[in-house]
Amino acid sequence: MRMHRWLIVLLGLGLAGVAAATPAPGFQDTEGCLLCHKYPRMARITDDGVLRSYYILPEVFSRTVHRNVPCRDCHTEINELPHKPIKTGVTCSTECHSVKNPATGKPFSHKPIVDAYRESVHGRSKQAIGTDADKPYCITCHTNPLYNPTELAPPKQITDRCTLCHEDRNFVNRWYNHTSRRIREVRRTPEQIVALCSTCHDDKRMVERHQKKASAEGREIGRKFAIAVESYEESFHGKMVKYGFAAAANCLDCHADTVNYYKSVHEIRPSRDPASPVHKDRRVETCKRCHTYADKNYAQLDPHPTSKRGDNPFRYFAELIYNIVGYVVITGLVGLSLFETFGRRRDGVAWRLTHGSSWWRKSKRGRDRVV
Amino acid sequence: MKLSREARDVLETSMLQNRVGAKDRDEIETLVAILPDDRVLLYKNVVSNPLGDLYRYSIHIRIQHMLTFVTFLMLAFTGLPIHFFESFWAEPFNQVLGGVSVTRIIHRTIAVIMIVSMIYHVLTITLGSWWRMRAGTFDIRRTIIPLWKDVRDFREDLQYFAGKRKTRPEMDKFNYKQKIHYFAAAFGNTVMVVSGSSFLFPELWAMILPTSVASHWQELMRLSHPHEALLALLVIAFWHWYNVHLAPGRFPMQWTFLTGKITREHQIEEHFLEYLRNLVEQPAERKALQDMLESRELLAETGRKGGKS
Repeated sequence: MRMHRWLIVLLGLGLAGVAAATPAPGFQDTEGCLLCHKYPRMARITDDGVLRSYYILPEVFSRTVHRNVPCRDCHTEINELPHKPIKTGVTCSTECHSVKNPATGKPFSHKPIVDAYRESVHGRSKQAIGTDADKPYCITCHTNPLYNPTELAPPKQITDRCTLCHEDRNFVNRWYNHTSRRIREVRRTPEQIVALCSTCHDDKRMVERHQKKASAEGREIGRKFAIAVESYEESFHGKMVKYGFAAAANCLDCHADTVNYYKSVHEIRPSRDPASPVHKDRRVETCKRCHTYADKNYAQLDPHPTSKRGDNPFRYFAELIYNIVGYVVITGLVGLSLFETFGRRRDGVAWRLTHGSSWWRKSKRGRDRVV
Repeated sequence: MKLSREARDVLETSMLQNRVGAKDRDEIETLVAILPDDRVLLYKNVVSNPLGDLYRYSIHIRIQHMLTFVTFLMLAFTGLPIHFFESFWAEPFNQVLGGVSVTRIIHRTIAVIMIVSMIYHVLTITLGSWWRMRAGTFDIRRTIIPLWKDVRDFREDLQYFAGKRKTRPEMDKFNYKQKIHYFAAAFGNTVMVVSGSSFLFPELWAMILPTSVASHWQELMRLSHPHEALLALLVIAFWHWYNVHLAPGRFPMQWTFLTGKITREHQIEEHFLEYLRNLVEQPAERKALQDMLESRELLAETGRKGGKS
């Protein structure tokens, strides 16, 4: 027990040290949300059995990109304290009342991106039901990220210089956080993109649900939809990306347009849509992004090849023949070697050539070496 | 020993091609006559140097073998982790050489060296054959080209292994096993080069081929490259290395790929027709063989001292 007490004291001192090093929270709780949400056990278990935590750490929230947005700019449903159970939740197309877009002077909003997303094959409403609920909503891919996970606070050696003219330390810190994050590469790596897409597209039950629904509605569904992930992983692109070779195509390199990456990735369309970069009429153009000399023949190549009979019978039978030939050849050659060894051993050959001969063993066929 | 019709023909051809004089011809005929009738006694009783006794491969062939040997293993080491990307060993194997961004460069560079080695080999055998043809010493039986005799040799060898035949067939410089292996390697290398080029230049191949074939071609090549590589690796590991390292009489290593020479007992057992040519081309071998057989009193009756064929 004594040991435990010492550990607790040491832990307490350590936490105090961290607290001392942590900058004063920039997040101002003007709406009093932390009255309740400061408690770590502020949580509930949903009807689906999922534990939902509503605990807010101000010192962490202060380092996130939404730090300047008051809670109720997004949580618009809340009008009183304590508030009633939330029905609709947050939608990212909501206009902020407190943050103005500096370019237009209008209330800031993610609405342009949300509108593009709603037009895409992934588009859905916040309260979607049925197979639509399988589709990703904003928070499936996006959280409220830290400006910079490796920086507890803006580096003083940089911001000190700024404050000489700009005077207001808070303004300088905000400006530093915003611009330093924007100029940093924050896009997902190819491996992360594949992993993200795979979270849904590799879910066999989700795939089945969508296939059934499409079949019931008599709607066409992509030939590769059910095997998108496994066939990509087997492809040369997939293997290269798995090994960290960033130049190989990941999901978005073909399925998203290149006009504006940040917008295009939100407006992915099914391959049957003429606007999709993988639509048959646009494949040459899409392949040419990397394969400069690609032509219509090249665009015929299957980028997601499998040896499944239903997907590609040619490859299925070719692989079958290869396997049969492989097994027959190896078995035949190994069998021949063993047979030869058996025959020669019976005739008295030894493993090693010693004293000028390999035939110093006694033969079962007679005619031994003269000693 | 009374030579078979085939062996007699090889011997006569060799003596003719080497313009053997009457004295040497008599010496060769005498030696052949006093050889024991049972060839098994011959190869069981000669003395062999494990490093090799009789010249077999030129320095060019040895260099080509070394180039193929090194490039093949390096290509397999850098290529297989890409194909078997899900295997537990794939990632560490790949990382050993610096990851895929490095191994892909190594793989392509070594592939070029392998192709150069192939061209070097084709030039060697083509020019060598041309040179022999001009000199009047070319004999198709001495080449790697498959002949009907190989089929017969194969059948007779199996009969010997099964104990249904007393001796192994009289095989030439390259026996049926070597011919199978050589042409399998030649075919395999060609498949690897063609399929590899379809990965490196996919646009070019798509441009050349008709639209209806382009996709199937690429799919076939993507199957062929790893399948052929794996088959080649297994054949090398379980057949070639067994034959030259682990087979009885060859353990722990057959030195031919370094010294260019084959042991006397091996030559007589598996390449008897070539051994007859050795007797024609190397007078010292005639003397060595006669001494060995005399010391063991294995000369045929007609060949005992003072005897005549």
